[in-house]
Amino acid sequence: MHGVTTDAAQDPRELIEAYYEAGWTDGLPVVPPTDASVEAMLAAGRFRGDEIIGEIAGRNTVVAADKVAINAVMAGCKPEYLPVVVAALKGLCHPDFAYHGPASSTGGSAMVLVVNGPIVRALGINSGNNAFGQGHRPNATIGRAVRLTMMNVMNTRPGLLDRATLGNPGKYSFCFAEHEDDHPWEPLHVARGLRPTDSAVTVYASNSLYQVYNQLAATPEPLLRCFADALSNLGIPNMKGYNQALLVLAGEHAEIMRSSGWSRRKAQEFIVEHAQRTVADFKRAGRLPGAVEAGDETAPRRLFERPDDLLIVCAGGRAGSWSACLPGWGNKWTKAVTTLIEIPGGHA
Amino acid sequence: MKLFDPTSKPVERAVELAPRPASLRGLRLGLVDNTKFNSDTLLAKLAERLARRHGMTVTATSRKRSPSHEIDEAAVKTLRAQADLVVSGIGD
Repeated sequence: MHGVTTDAAQDPRELIEAYYEAGWTDGLPVVPPTDASVEAMLAAGRFRGDEIIGEIAGRNTVVAADKVAINAVMAGCKPEYLPVVVAALKGLCHPDFAYHGPASSTGGSAMVLVVNGPIVRALGINSGNNAFGQGHRPNATIGRAVRLTMMNVMNTRPGLLDRATLGNPGKYSFCFAEHEDDHPWEPLHVARGLRPTDSAVTVYASNSLYQVYNQLAATPEPLLRCFADALSNLGIPNMKGYNQALLVLAGEHAEIMRSSGWSRRKAQEFIVEHAQRTVADFKRAGRLPGAVEAGDETAPRRLFERPDDLLIVCAGGRAGSWSACLPGWGNKWTKAVTTLIEIPGGHA
Repeated sequence: MKLFDPTSKPVERAVELAPRPASLRGLRLGLVDNTKFNSDTLLAKLAERLARRHGMTVTATSRKRSPSHEIDEAAVKTLRAQADLVVSGIGD
């Protein structure tokens, strides 16, 4: 009912090649959909095929459920993953996300999906070792389904309305769950106004990921100084205006914060205060116009305006002195959006 | 065997282009700054040149919320009422 008849042979290899030839893949082979797999996908979300998931007026884009289902099958999703994919797409279509910029920019953002709540355990979304890496089907395929939908439905094709200069590997898929056990604070979705029993996905545009290493720090101050420094390097994309940043505390670093008794707000305020350089630094690097003038050597320029602009989550393995920070795209031209995952029957 | 088309075409929207002016002489100029770095500087230089060469006057300016956001309807209404020609910029 959703497809077009072709002379493609029954051989799966030829069918996969036909999707390549049509220009419908992200470069990796896709799972060829069938009537049954598309129907199962729609049924898992209790969607009608013509149901509208979201719209982006500025790009004349309408996202319909049947196309999302087809792309989710192609990505390799199980049907029960669909509510997460749909919630993420609703987030991308939210006016606060301002999709056109992060989707089209030369900056080449990955759409980072952070999943919270009971659905994490129900679907087995990885929040632990190798949280950003390979090896977990929901992480790999939910993020991939979102990117395939962006390409095929939301008119976001490389070289056309995706003008990424370099892009980044997270553009294939970037989905992980927050590690909510032993969290120093409340999880991200609760910090953003939802209940602990809710499931949610936060979409966030970032064009880079820095791992932050510190094996000696035993208290928050030296550890957070490393984050502040990583977020204020001279090549950081967004020093012209204030921005958001996503910080991912892993393993031993999360334990340092948990045992310190620091609140989330205190950690955020510390980074706001310390993520700064002098105006002279930025002028010498050509990141601000004009010659260095008297006073520039001591004039501070902060990278962040408000503590809430720092989104702090926990993920990753328990062992190791690694964390990460992901600077946001644009100068507050886009904002992270957290969307409730609506689960038919509430099975999660 | 079927292929399942995963694509959607952009929704068609009728867009009517404004009539092209026969001459730039003495027209009222509107400027839309999309907030990209130096866009305000570039538009100001352009306005100076249009004033010098064609006697145009800047009568309306608008600064978008960000390059990523559409211009709002109120600004469009103002530009439509107060300008004969609008320049918007800039890209990378």
